[in-house]
Amino acid sequence: MKHKTDCMMQNIAGENLLVPLGARVLDLNGLMTLNETAAFIWALLDQERTLDELIAAVAERFEVPSAVARADIQTFLAEITRLGLLEE
Amino acid sequence: MTAPGGLPTEYGPLVGELGRRAIERRQPVNGTFELTERCNLNCTMCYVRQPAGHAALRAGELSPRAWLELTLQAMENGMVFLLLTGGEVFLRPDFFEIYTPLTRLGLLLTLFTNGTLITDAIARRLAEAPPSRTEITLYGATAATYEAVTGVPGSFGRCLAGIEALRKYRVPLGLKSTLTTRNVGELEAMRKMAAAWDLPFSAAWLLTKRRDQAPCGVAGCRMSAAQCVELEATDRASASEWRERALRGAPSENEKNFYCAAGKAAFVVNSRGEMSPCLDLIQPAARPLESGFREAWQEVQAFVDSAPPLAPLCRACEVRDYCPRCPAFSVLETGSLSEPVPYLCEIAHARKERYGPHSE
Repeated sequence: MKHKTDCMMQNIAGENLLVPLGARVLDLNGLMTLNETAAFIWALLDQERTLDELIAAVAERFEVPSAVARADIQTFLAEITRLGLLEE
Repeated sequence: MTAPGGLPTEYGPLVGELGRRAIERRQPVNGTFELTERCNLNCTMCYVRQPAGHAALRAGELSPRAWLELTLQAMENGMVFLLLTGGEVFLRPDFFEIYTPLTRLGLLLTLFTNGTLITDAIARRLAEAPPSRTEITLYGATAATYEAVTGVPGSFGRCLAGIEALRKYRVPLGLKSTLTTRNVGELEAMRKMAAAWDLPFSAAWLLTKRRDQAPCGVAGCRMSAAQCVELEATDRASASEWRERALRGAPSENEKNFYCAAGKAAFVVNSRGEMSPCLDLIQPAARPLESGFREAWQEVQAFVDSAPPLAPLCRACEVRDYCPRCPAFSVLETGSLSEPVPYLCEIAHARKERYGPHSE
């Protein structure tokens, strides 16, 4: 999986935001703020990744058990899937 | 995972909080590009008001390539919000050469227009990559009033056609009005027009003199201070703000002259490529395309930081917290960054009279 290319991550005063591009503005008129974990996952999804790759990367980066990483990742993936931002 | 770091979740408060944090970090997050000073309308109260056919101005306007270069540099320094305004932006035949590349960069774009040049084809093209928001100014609810303000026969019908075209293609749209003595009687009718279209509507009535100091008829367009405050009371958000301010009681301790985001998180680049803190100020006219954006932004910040403090009269004023004065208004009215503006003093007194501790 990877994220679609019609959203871009931006930073305001240290806060990460997803900004819609092109016609996506019509579906996602607003801003989505990302915490550090979500921003890290979004950046990983610039390229094609498996769930296991994401879990390993998040667990290592944030020094959390795999189960915690998996839960965070699945929550975020569910959110960006709901918004139509994930290519599978 | 949304709304981390104690950030609000609603769009308006979220943007407000991000703006506050950007000010603290001096991140130039809010850019405004004035693509042209020229306009196809001829409104007496306008602070820019340059003719559509002004050849010298047109010749001096930045090219699409220059706007893109400026945008990329500004984004490297932290710009995320970008307003494109004029004059009338659709007077530029190369508007889409400027606009389209900007839609691919991850900016939150806003477009200000009078709507009168928006055809079906333009609306359709905008919808391919729409701005987050487009704002059209209504100058009246009838052709007679609208065109008495704009001075251009047929402009009311063209404005309505532009609004309809943008609605047809679902381009995010809001309406606003600049109120003068000529059109204030149609405020309610304009609000009803917007409601019938299911569009947000706001109105402004603090009219400034022309930025280029040329003679203007703004004095004849302005409402009295009492009228302004009466009007303000019809806007629930404004009235609540003043009531809350009155309840807080304690006067502001802020002695800073520039109290907004101008020159701290916001900047403007005019059609010739000169940078200033806000649309009403032409100073310091930094040149980002020559010096580089970072240096120009530093120059703009230095201009704001070195501004004189509030005038003694303002510092001691008992209605200071009700006053809409800012350095730009002072410059336009008095030539100084800090002098009181008598018209605004009257408004501040009228506000205190209405909302202050003795108003109940």
